[in-house]
This record gives sequence, C-alpha cells and structure tokens, in this order.
Amino acid sequence: MKRRVFVTGIGLVSPHGCEPQEVFRRLYAGESAIRKVRTGTAEYGSDVLLAPCGLSTQDVIPKSQSFVMDRVSKLAVVAAYNALNSAGLLESEGHCKKPSAAVYMGCGLGGSQSLEDAYRAYWEKRTRKPKPTSVPMIMANAPAAHISMRFRLNGPSLTYSIACASSAVAVGEAFRAIRDGYSDVAVAGGTESMINDGSISAWEMLGVLAKEHESGAHASSRPFAVDRTGFVLGEGAAVLILESEESVLARETNALAEVVGYGVSNDAHNLTQPAVDGQVLAMRAALSDASLEPLLVDYINAHATATPAGDLVEVQAIKQVFGEKPRGLAISSTKSMHGHLVGAAGALEFLISVLALAEKKIPPTAFLTDPDPQCDLDCVPCVGRSAPSLRYAMSNSFAFGGTNASLLARAV
Amino acid sequence: MSSYEDIKELLVTKFEVKPELIEPGATLADLGLDSLSTAELIFDIAEKYDLDIPDNRADFTTLGEAVKMVDELRRAKVGSA
Repeated sequence: MKRRVFVTGIGLVSPHGCEPQEVFRRLYAGESAIRKVRTGTAEYGSDVLLAPCGLSTQDVIPKSQSFVMDRVSKLAVVAAYNALNSAGLLESEGHCKKPSAAVYMGCGLGGSQSLEDAYRAYWEKRTRKPKPTSVPMIMANAPAAHISMRFRLNGPSLTYSIACASSAVAVGEAFRAIRDGYSDVAVAGGTESMINDGSISAWEMLGVLAKEHESGAHASSRPFAVDRTGFVLGEGAAVLILESEESVLARETNALAEVVGYGVSNDAHNLTQPAVDGQVLAMRAALSDASLEPLLVDYINAHATATPAGDLVEVQAIKQVFGEKPRGLAISSTKSMHGHLVGAAGALEFLISVLALAEKKIPPTAFLTDPDPQCDLDCVPCVGRSAPSLRYAMSNSFAFGGTNASLLARAV
Repeated sequence: MSSYEDIKELLVTKFEVKPELIEPGATLADLGLDSLSTAELIFDIAEKYDLDIPDNRADFTTLGEAVKMVDELRRAKVGSA
C-alpha cells in the first residue's frame, strides 16, 4: 500500500537568512546573496566569490555540545529546529513530539573546517595531536547524528553523500520510506559548509567556479546566460518535515505541499561531465513515480549551476522529456542568487519549489539579461512571476559522480 | 591562577558544568563529562600549559586527581627548563 506524503514544516539557515517566507520574498525579487569574501591566510588567501550564511545557535545548541560540532552540524541542527518548530512538532523542552521520526540528511564534504584544522595542526603546528574530537566532527554523518540526539529521534538516522545530489536523494529516500510505511515522520534535508581555503582552492583548481562579473560580484552566478562562467559556492542547511497523510490528519495540521514523485539515476558516463540520457531517466522516473503527464508540470527549479556545459545538457534533457517548446513550463535557476550549496542544494531548491507552490509565485533566474540562444526555454529571466494556477513543481539535482535526482511536488 | 581555578573556569565556560557541582572529590562523570568531553578537557589543559600529557597520566577519575596530575607536570616542566 502506498501512502500519501506531505511537507508539514520547513527550516533554513541560508545565504538569504533563516526565515523561509522572507528568503522566498528576496529570491522572488531577484536579490543575490553572493559577495566577495576574503578567505584563507595572509600569505595565500584570496578574495573569493561566495554565498555564506549567518548562524545563530542561541537556544538551539547548548555549549556543552558546541565544542564537538563542526559548523556543518550546527547549520543542520538549527535548520532542523526551525523545521520541527514550523511543523508544530517541538515539545516545550525542545524535543520532538514524534520520537520515532527518521532523519535523512545529505552532506557532500562533512566537517570540512575540522578536517582542515586537523591538517593544519599536523603541518603548521608540527604535531601529531589534532583535537581529540576531530574524527566525530569530520564524519559526514555527524549532522544527522546531532539532529537525532538533539531532538531525541530514535528512527533511522541516515546520511547520503552524493555530491550535489546528496540532499535531493535524502528527501527522495525519506519520501519513499514514508510512502512505503517504514516511517510516519521524517526530518529530511541537507547541509554543507566548506568556506575554508583548503576546500575553496580545490574547487578553484577544478575550473568550475564563476569569475567575477563586470556588473559586480553579486551578479556572477549567471545560469542559462551566454556569458556564464561557472558557479559560486554557497553555504547553509535546508530541512523539510515529511509526514504521512495519516499523521497529518491525526495531528490536524496543515501541509505546505504534497511530495508526489522521486526519480534517481546515474549517467554511468563520466565523473564530472553531465549526460543528457541520465538526466532524462531521472526526470522520467519522477514523472512515472507520480503517474504524471509531463505537460502537467508548471515549474522546474533547475539544477543549472551556470557552468557552460552543465546548463546546456540540462536544457537538452528537459527538452527530451517535456518537448522542444514545452507550453506553460517555466524553468528557473535560483542558484543565480543563493549560489551552489552542494550537499544542501537539493533540499534548499526543493524547499524553494514548495514555497513557490504555496505562494503561487515563480522565482526568477536572476541576471539573465543575455540568454544563451541554445538555452531557449522559458527561463523566467530576471523578474519573478505570479502563477495563480501553479500546481506541479519539479526540482532537479545532478551530481558529480553521475547521480541525477528529480523530486516532484504538488500544491495542496 | 592555580590549575584548579583554571580547570574550574574551563569546566564552567566550555562544558557548562554547574559551579556548585565542582569540588575536588567530584568525578568527571559526576560533572557530566563523557569520554569525548574528557578527552577535549585534557587536550585543552595540555594546550593551555603547553604540556605533553602521557596516556598513563591521563588515567584519573576525580577532579582533584586531574589537578594533581597537571600540577606535577607543570612543576616538572619548570624544573626541566
């Protein structure tokens, strides 16, 4: 028996802030959170394009836990707190009202700052003695573990580390677990924080990061534009509370949207180059999962990171699935404003899609003043769009390693 | 400041131990420190006084024993300087 699954809460710590409605308002207005930040040491540091986020752990993370948490885990716990709170699932002492809830989190790199600190102890301080808490701070499943501990959740606590698709897969797998009856409630999302120079310089050498645009640092992430040069690393965490229909009805709570489909595939092609066929498989699988005709989809929050190759491949894949000139299908990449949150990207962008459905508004692809003629879909350039009949939204996440994940949600 | 006062301050500020619980006879478990917190505490003390704490010396149960170990290592360090 397949059960219906709803989104009943959302929580964020994002480059645009922590309050989802306010974050959505800013995205809808085309506001970028990207800026130039000085990183690293005095000797080798650099001014880097980034979309960092602010973090306040007050009242959420006790000091007695703080010393054993990398920033990536703190982001995750605060986002989970906000999500559980918005779902009405927090008891007065701050634990979750549903102790059997599961935790499904995505994370690309784990505690990257703690890893850098451990290496710095070795190379700079010339000692074999990094902090004794280094290992549990670095491990990729620490964010999920901290969520389970903080809110006393005894359900499965699982981590998906699949680069840019990590948290889309986490949300998709949580959706399946609830639909198939393994869980009633899941805390599902992703977190990423690698704003440290060791990580950043490695990304730089891969040749995928954006160059500063002549109109300003804020306008440097330019998906679908003819002058796109790559992506900007973002930081943050996004968490959704997924809940079975039975649980929603029993609690008499409101849902923001229904999750209706999830498709996942692999390109089996190349570690970093995307492939049309694999992306087509994922989108078709999500549609099939939802028993939905392609023409019913109103909006796609694209993966589109603004790399020259990636955006074009996604456009070609969308055309294969939805037609050369799909009528009434709007596509936008909000990475133009919040950057690429890697392990948190899928959850953040699905969360934005859920808000688009709830508010009947499509956020734009910012800075799309000069579209690539080869990206000739309706990419909602520069200006957000009111969409009173918005009903179905898809969110794409395509990863290094070839994993493609598509999520589908329906307005309630 | 004495080692005892330093460690007491660390316990209160970093590990959120209630000051009224802190007395030399209290075990680290009494103070709410698990093995990870204890390892971190020893690490912090070693950093603060620039001590090399041998594994066999870190085998203490009470706060008083910990302070005694730290005092001895600090004296040995001064003596060897």
